[in-house]
Amino acid sequence: MIGCYVTGIFPRLTELIECTRIYARGRINASDLEKAFEDATTKIVNAQVSAEFSYVTDGMLRWQDMLRPFIKGLGGVKMGSLARWFNNNVFYRKPIIVDTIRRNKSIFKEATYIGYLPKNFRWKAILPAPYTFAQLSENQFYKDKTELMFEYAEILKEEIKSLTQLGFKYVQLSDPALVYEPIATSLSRTELDYVSEALRVAVEGTSIKTCVQTFFGDFCQILPEAIDFPVDHLGIDLYATDFEKLKEYSFEKGVAFGLVDSRNSLVEEPDELVTVTKEIVESIYPSKMGEVFVCPNCDLEFLPWERAHEKMKIIRSVTKRLREEFS
Amino acid sequence: MSKLLPTQEIGSLAKPRWRIKGYRGKPLSKEDMAEAIDWGRKLEIPDLKELVKLLNERDSPSKRRGILEWSAIYAIRFFKAAGLDVFFDGEQWRSEMYEHVIRQTAGFNSLGYIKSFDYRYFNKAACINKPQYTNSFYLDEFLFTKENTEKEIKVPFTGPYTLVDWTFNEYYEKKLSHKIMDFKQRKFEAKKNFLFDLIKEVIRPEIKKLVDSGAKWIQIDEPAATTNPTDEEMRLFVECFNETVKDFNCTFSLHNCYSNYEILAKYACDLRNCSQLALEFANRDSRQAKVGNERAGYKEIELFEEYGFRGDYGLGVVDVHTNFIEPPKLVRNRILHVAKMIGDPSRIYVSPDCGLRTRFWEISLRKLKNMVSGAELARNAVK
Repeated sequence: MIGCYVTGIFPRLTELIECTRIYARGRINASDLEKAFEDATTKIVNAQVSAEFSYVTDGMLRWQDMLRPFIKGLGGVKMGSLARWFNNNVFYRKPIIVDTIRRNKSIFKEATYIGYLPKNFRWKAILPAPYTFAQLSENQFYKDKTELMFEYAEILKEEIKSLTQLGFKYVQLSDPALVYEPIATSLSRTELDYVSEALRVAVEGTSIKTCVQTFFGDFCQILPEAIDFPVDHLGIDLYATDFEKLKEYSFEKGVAFGLVDSRNSLVEEPDELVTVTKEIVESIYPSKMGEVFVCPNCDLEFLPWERAHEKMKIIRSVTKRLREEFS
Repeated sequence: MSKLLPTQEIGSLAKPRWRIKGYRGKPLSKEDMAEAIDWGRKLEIPDLKELVKLLNERDSPSKRRGILEWSAIYAIRFFKAAGLDVFFDGEQWRSEMYEHVIRQTAGFNSLGYIKSFDYRYFNKAACINKPQYTNSFYLDEFLFTKENTEKEIKVPFTGPYTLVDWTFNEYYEKKLSHKIMDFKQRKFEAKKNFLFDLIKEVIRPEIKKLVDSGAKWIQIDEPAATTNPTDEEMRLFVECFNETVKDFNCTFSLHNCYSNYEILAKYACDLRNCSQLALEFANRDSRQAKVGNERAGYKEIELFEEYGFRGDYGLGVVDVHTNFIEPPKLVRNRILHVAKMIGDPSRIYVSPDCGLRTRFWEISLRKLKNMVSGAELARNAVK
């Protein structure tokens, strides 16, 4: 099976950007702003439907950053100062863990425009993975970040149960910290075992598809251990991963290839993306090919909407071409 | 500088409303006019009637130019009134540090706004062709400042590494698309090509014009310096700084803020011809005027010293993101704390953390005056 989807927060459309700016200056009220968010969500959902994506998200426009809904929704977490979002000129609020983290309601549901998701399509949810959540938080309560990671994995387990009940068929756990070089280089093999175990806690018993999506770093750093992570699919940022090293490994489970670059406005040539994917797929699946997804390497929000939209069309075209190649 | 513990600013100062609206050709309110006159009187600016006359004129290129000049005069007087030893013009001629350069350089195409955080955005451009120097972007403001002050001038200059880091690299990645198959490697090579072309074609020609016109000190602003904290990228940053400043008969310094100083410290002593590191510390420090070894905000100075940096520090003793007015004693204690750490007060230039463009002028003036008083207290203490 060869599919496609997005992997994170969408860029805001020009009209929405303007509304947020005038809202910040007090010139429109919260309901006008909400209407602008809903209109933009409709356009983003429609664009995914037009691009024939295998799974559709609501665009995550309400997410000020990947961690913010968890700061707002979890007990025991306070909002910290702005911090750089990995190696981007983009910032997030640091969660400060001041007490036992507690989930009193569905955090994902609160942050998502579920009513805007199309009925006849499969829905995808995206949540921060345990390791990344723990690494990006300021821990003032737990013994160490490992303990925090496991506590958060328990929260995720409940979140995944809840979104399954809501009808979602796929959950992506975003884990950039796992491969981001300044953090990942100090990651020991024992810690990788803990990461795997925390993922097991989060996805245990779920009936929907699960994926650990990595970005901003070389996936080869966590190989071969990542091959055994207890999820269905592994997401790889091909703009940060050494192709030749990757080809040395054999995979059984599915792979989501971050083939379209969300951090450069240059629109890719489908021919090249097809060639690259074919080469990698043929190397990493020496016997039986796993499920393959074509996706952006990270959140599309690093691009202006118009360019992100063009890249969605590239994803569609590459997916079609690959289906023909491997049929 | 012969004076011990000289005081300096870092670059930007908020733009008055009459500057912003007037430059855009928008009508000014009574309050905007009153602001111009009030501050003009406070700063003892002569010929205020001329400014009022100009602001009442119809929009034209000469009116816009006139507004920039008046605004620069206000900023220069402002810094003088604060008692600073080294300054520029509050960057009154510039829209913003990134856009000002990109808009005046060929090869770039602005693509619109990208979210920075929450409801804040930045205008991001793509490099779509080899960058070309079309016209000078800092020379006029430098010449004007030079004419209007006897004080020492430090020209803030947006660095190439930051310009490249904040721009989509379309041209160079496309150029390498059939030459390097590995995307990661291609991205890095394309970045290097972009950087060194930008330095050669745009940055150095502008520096040459400034130096030929009498600039003695240029501060390279690189807020993105530690954005990519890998060894490979940090080496690239150092190489880029060294290439930018090489062979010019001029003093250079580096300003970097809200960054990872553990990383910068490792590479700082590889920066050639970098007389000063102007860094942000007050933001990291407590507001208590305590003494001793408890100034947590300044602990990373130790790292710079351990790694062998022996240049001067532009020591951030004023937080530019709060309206808290640092008392002179707090400023003094911060300076004395670092003077003791490095064992040499002559390596300290007393500074705010960064440019003051996010603060109202009333606040900025009070902060800077206290900074100058604090420096005086510290000077008396070390004499």
